[in-house]
Amino acid sequence: MTLLQAPQDAPLRIVDIAGGENVRRRLFSLGFNIGDRVALAGRSILRGPVLVRNLDLGVTVAVGRGIAQKIMIEAADGTI
Amino acid sequence: MERSDAPVVIFIGQPNCGKSTLFNAIAGPKAQTSNFPGTTVKHTHSLVSIEGRLLNVIDLPGTYSLHPTDPAEKVALRHLFIEKPDAIINVVDASILGRSLELTLELVEMNLPMIVALNMTDLAEKKGISIDAAQLEARLGVPVIPTIAAHGRGVAELLEAAFRCLAANCRGTRPRWTNDVETAIERLREAIPADFSCVANPRFTAIQMIESGHLFCADFLSEIAPDLKTCLDEVRTELSAKRGLPAYEVLAAERHHLSQKIFEESGRVAHRIRRGWSERLDDVLMHPWLGYPVLILVLLTFFFAIFKIGGPLETLLLKPFADLRLVLEARLDSRLLFHLVDGLLQGIGGGVAIVLPYFVPLLLLMALLEDVGYLARAGFLLDTFMHRIGLHGKSVSPFILGFGCNVPAIVATRILESRRDRILTSLLIPFIPCSARTTIILALVAFFLGPWWALGFYVFNILLVALLGRLLTVFFRTSSPGLILEIPTLKVPALKNVLLKVYVQLKSFVRFAWPLLIGGSVVLGLIQSFHWDAIINTILSPLVAGALGLPRELGVTLVFGFLRKELSLLMMLQALGVGYRDLLTVITREQMIVFTVFVSFFIPCLSTFAILWKEVGRRIAFLSAALSVSVAIALSVLVRLLI
Repeated sequence: MTLLQAPQDAPLRIVDIAGGENVRRRLFSLGFNIGDRVALAGRSILRGPVLVRNLDLGVTVAVGRGIAQKIMIEAADGTI
Repeated sequence: MERSDAPVVIFIGQPNCGKSTLFNAIAGPKAQTSNFPGTTVKHTHSLVSIEGRLLNVIDLPGTYSLHPTDPAEKVALRHLFIEKPDAIINVVDASILGRSLELTLELVEMNLPMIVALNMTDLAEKKGISIDAAQLEARLGVPVIPTIAAHGRGVAELLEAAFRCLAANCRGTRPRWTNDVETAIERLREAIPADFSCVANPRFTAIQMIESGHLFCADFLSEIAPDLKTCLDEVRTELSAKRGLPAYEVLAAERHHLSQKIFEESGRVAHRIRRGWSERLDDVLMHPWLGYPVLILVLLTFFFAIFKIGGPLETLLLKPFADLRLVLEARLDSRLLFHLVDGLLQGIGGGVAIVLPYFVPLLLLMALLEDVGYLARAGFLLDTFMHRIGLHGKSVSPFILGFGCNVPAIVATRILESRRDRILTSLLIPFIPCSARTTIILALVAFFLGPWWALGFYVFNILLVALLGRLLTVFFRTSSPGLILEIPTLKVPALKNVLLKVYVQLKSFVRFAWPLLIGGSVVLGLIQSFHWDAIINTILSPLVAGALGLPRELGVTLVFGFLRKELSLLMMLQALGVGYRDLLTVITREQMIVFTVFVSFFIPCLSTFAILWKEVGRRIAFLSAALSVSVAIALSVLVRLLI
């Protein structure tokens, strides 16, 4: 399931980042790595960016829709 | 101690960790601070003396890691690697320590004298996070000094520790990687020939090589050290085979978890990170629907506050200059002397009475907007609309900075990762009305025709930028990389900081721009007294009078508009030989609008042209000038026909 399809504010875990090296590096340097606990903190209108929050670090990042589709997630407590 | 051999200490940290605020607290008002990733985009030097001991302190742009992803980070790393500082002060945001430590762990590998400034501990406490500095110090092996830069707390202890560290040459304990990674690094380190120019030390260079992207200039390497190149390839394939991830990710992941482990060991988090006022406010500011009315409200209050403060202040300050001018006119009979003195008066009077009343409130509000951190929120909200013109949310901050002045805005495009975005944003910024053009719009359109006309002009201006963006993307086909923009926590701006920022910008206006205004006015006075202005006017009259239907005398003012935009307004009065109040007796309302439209777009001012040349190259600078002139003429003629 991609970050875009996730329910808002539910605890999630990053399983994989399907983007190219550039996208992966930029996300890693902002503290979003595979295995991190995150949550979809908000959405924008008209196919705009989404807000993703790293629950352990307390860091919030706005991510374009294209990139959000590349972030594979699963529910953190295995409910989904 | 002589100036040059003062020890060099650099401030390095991730964007928004309070580096420049800390730098300001130490070095006095030099660096620009704001709550948006990538404010300090060029480095600032300052020589600081503390009880007679000299320290050469350098504030660098924020960088998330030692692998640059945008030009601003390249500035930071060039400085770190080439200039070889005597000590590093790694400023760390205590409220997001888990991520801040990732850069710290990379810096420790450089084995240079280093101190960690654990900044914004007050913000961390509010979030329910308390960090045990001693535990962190033991774990990293470098002194850790808690500081709250905004209130100047901990700054003295930090400087004391800096001097102690320089003397004792204290270096960190290098983090231990897991065994297979450790052996891989060691193997590569031994393969580095002795004469190879390492950065900091062989081990650090080895790690950098494994982690670097496009094979660390592979061809250069295979020429000068072929066996090193083969060893590097072997190490990389070995690592990725074992972990099923590319080599750079193995190291990145390990450093990520190590930094989180250190954070958990040295920090106590109250059950869950508390949602403070900042998060609750963000639910409204970035709400898919509520966010936009708030954004419009912020921009409207922005506009009306400046108009309401500037307008009355202007009339108040203009009076003495207008009276003085009448007295002069009566007393001075010789033409040359009158024009010279009148020019001087117009320059000084213009600066005080027309520019400053609008400039100061604009600077104040811009500084507040930046320090609160609203720019990143605006970037998030406007990202979808920016996509329509081929850009994304990260260009919003340079655009908003453009309302203050185009020059820092173009420099701020360094935070954009792709050159295409930088060029496109830099081409659009000169169309954003800077404070000088705001002065003209408010002093002319708003003052004589009412604020709603001026507001209409701003909306028209923003639509123009959007339209131009749409057209330009046709030529810049390559798609821009997706948006990844950190949204820093909202901060209550420290008033001292905001006033400091306004003071710095005001000082540079008084030192550079104002003399230009006075000089320009005096030169025009000279030209008028020798009647050369008539020559310039006739040359320009087909454009000025013919196309634009403006009085011929305005020709010369447009020429001077290239030096500073306000000049064309100040000199308009001088050229028409009339006081500010009775301007409408000499020029009709329609002509005033056409003049404002033309002057706003016709060419970027000299300093904007120079910064374009420096930042994005000669070709783009001339393209921008040509674009401006053609758009200005086309628009002005259109406006003239319509109204």
